[in-house]
Amino acid sequence: MPEGGWAPMATIQARGLTKRFGAAVVAVDHLDFDAIPGGVTGFLGPNGAGKTTTLRMLLGLVTPTSGTVLVDGHRYRDLPEPTKRIGAVLEASGFHPARTARQHLKVVATMAAIPFARVEECLELVGLAEAGDRKVGGFSMGMRQRLELARALLGKPDILVLDEPANGLDPQGIAWLRDFPRFYATETVAGSGGGRIVIVSSHLLSEAQLIVDDVIVLTAGRLAAQGRLVDLLAGSARAVRVRTPDADRLVQALQAANIPAALRDGYVVADGATPEQVAPVMVDNRIHVYEMVSSTESLESLFFSLTGGEPAMAGQPAAPMGDYRRFDQDATAPTVGAGSPPPSAAAWPPPAGAPRQDRP
Amino acid sequence: MTHLLRAEVRKLWTIWSTYVVFGIVVVIDLAFGFGLAYAPGGRRGGEAGIVPHGSSQWFVNIFSVLDNARLLALVLGVLIITGEYRHKTVTPTFLVEPRRGRVVTAKLGIGFGAGLVMGVLTMLAGLLLGYILVALKVHSCLSLGGVSQGMSQAVCASQPIAHHYFVANVHDMWHNWSQIAPGVVLGTGLFAIYGLGLGALLKNQIVAIVVGLIFTLVVETIVGAIWPTIGEYLPGQAATALEDATRTTLRGNNPLLPWWGGAIMLLVYGIALAFVGTFTTLRSDIT
Repeated sequence: MPEGGWAPMATIQARGLTKRFGAAVVAVDHLDFDAIPGGVTGFLGPNGAGKTTTLRMLLGLVTPTSGTVLVDGHRYRDLPEPTKRIGAVLEASGFHPARTARQHLKVVATMAAIPFARVEECLELVGLAEAGDRKVGGFSMGMRQRLELARALLGKPDILVLDEPANGLDPQGIAWLRDFPRFYATETVAGSGGGRIVIVSSHLLSEAQLIVDDVIVLTAGRLAAQGRLVDLLAGSARAVRVRTPDADRLVQALQAANIPAALRDGYVVADGATPEQVAPVMVDNRIHVYEMVSSTESLESLFFSLTGGEPAMAGQPAAPMGDYRRFDQDATAPTVGAGSPPPSAAAWPPPAGAPRQDRP
Repeated sequence: MTHLLRAEVRKLWTIWSTYVVFGIVVVIDLAFGFGLAYAPGGRRGGEAGIVPHGSSQWFVNIFSVLDNARLLALVLGVLIITGEYRHKTVTPTFLVEPRRGRVVTAKLGIGFGAGLVMGVLTMLAGLLLGYILVALKVHSCLSLGGVSQGMSQAVCASQPIAHHYFVANVHDMWHNWSQIAPGVVLGTGLFAIYGLGLGALLKNQIVAIVVGLIFTLVVETIVGAIWPTIGEYLPGQAATALEDATRTTLRGNNPLLPWWGGAIMLLVYGIALAFVGTFTTLRSDIT
C-alpha cells in the first residue's frame, strides 16, 4: 500500500466470463460487468441465473471456462493476502460441527495471519461473543450466517461479498441487513481511498430494492441490465391512482387533457402520468379526491420486464404496468434511492463503541 | 507456510475425532496386546506354532500388534483432507489460501507429524503393556510334555529330563520393544502421508477409508502371496520392512525391502497420490 494511506480504489472487473458445466449447461455466458466502490451493488437474478457461480468464480472457488474476473487487475488466486482484500459470506460454506464458533474463527485467523484480538472483535460485531464457546453444531441458521459474516470480516476487507444473505436471518438480522451493507460500503477507511465495494446477491427483489445502489441483473447467465438503480427505475413506467366519487367525470377530464386514464376496480388509473399532471385537472374540474397515490415502477416489475420472467408466485400472471395490485405494493415501499436512516441508529449489531442491544 | 502449518495443527486439536482416532490406537494396542499375551499359541509362529509365555519370542509376538497403528494413521490422514470436504470447511480454507497445492503440502507435513505422534503413542502403550506383563511375572514351562502355562519354577524343575522355565523380564521386553520402536514410529508417520494422498485423490471420506483399508488388508495380502516380489513394494510390506530392519521374525517367507527402501516407497506412494490428487480431484470447482 502506498505511503500516506492512499490506495487505488478497489475494482472488480469481469470480461467475457463464461462457465459451462458439462456440455449442456451454460451457467454464465460471456458476462461483462464492473462493480464500483462506495456503494452497494446488487447481484440480481432468478434462481439459476448464475449469480452464485459468478461470485464463486470471483473468489477462485470455481474456475471459469473462459474469460476473466479480476480484483484490482488480479485473479483471486494471485492476490497476496486475499482475505484482507475480499471477505465473502457464501451459502454452502461450512463449519465443523464439533468446533466452537471461536475456534472456527481462530483456525481461519491462524491461516490468514490475523491476530486473535480481531476474532473477538468480529464475534462482538455479529453478536456472537457469548455463544463463542458453543459448538457450531448446535447453532441455528441465523447464528451460522452471523458466524459466516464474522469470518468474512476477519481481514477487514475492502470488498465484501454477501451471497443470498437474507436466507436464514431472523427479523432482527433482516433489519440489520438493510443498513449494514451501505454502512460498510461508505464507511471511510484509512487506506481504502474511496469507499469499499459491497456486492449483495439476492433473488428477493423487494429486499434488494432497499439495500442496493447499483444493480447487475443476470438472467440465464447473461447480463440483462447494469447501472444505478435510480436511473434504471427513472426510465421506467409511472402511474397515478386516484380514489374519487366522481370517477367517470375525472376519466373524461383527464382524457380531454390528453392524459390516458381508465377506471379500474373503482380507481381512476392514469398510466404514465405524474401527480403534477393529474392534480390541476382535478382542481380545474372541482373533483373531490379521497386518495391519490403516485408510483414509479418497482424493481420487481422492472426485473420482470428485463428478464421476461414471471413473478415468483406460481400461476399468477405478471401484473400489467399500472395494475392496481402494483400500486398496493408501491404505496408501502419506500422511495427508491431515498436516504436510509443513519447506519448507527439501526446497525445490527451497532458499530463498535455504540451500546449494544441486548440480544436473546 | 508457517501460518498454514499452525492452522492445520489447530484444525486437528479442535475436533474430537482426532482424539477418538488416537484413543482407538491405544485401546487396540492394549486390548490386542493382552489378548496375544494370553493366547495359547504365538501369532507368527515359534516352533510348532507354540510360544512359551514369558519368553523373548513371546514379546515379539505381543509387540507385533503395534504395527496396526499404521491403519489408524491411514484413517487419520484420510480424515485430515476429506473432513474439509465433508464439512465444507474447504470453502473458507481455499478462500484464505487459494493456491490449493500449498494447502495440501501443509496437510502432508502436519499429517506426517500427527502420524509420528500416533506412532510414539502406540509404542508408549506397548511399553506400558510390556511393563504390566513383566510386573505380572507371566511365566511358563517348556518340557517334553509341551508348554505348560502358569507352572511354577519349582514344579517345572521337577519335570522329567529337558525342561526350560520362562518368566517375563524387563531385559527381553525392552530388547524387543526398542528394536521395533523406530520402525513403527516412522512407518506410522509415513502411513498418515499415504492416507492423505488417498484422501486427496478420492476426496470422499468413506470411499478413501474403505479403499485404503481393503487395499492394505486384503489386496496386499493376496498380491504378496501370489507375487511376493511385487508385494514387497506395496505400502503395507514397505512399512513392515521398516519395522523389521534388524530381524527376520515378522516377515515370514516374504521378501522385504531394506528399511530405507520401505521408507522411500511409502513416501513415494503418499506424495505421488497427493500430487495427482492436487492436480485432478482437488482442482475441481467448490460449489
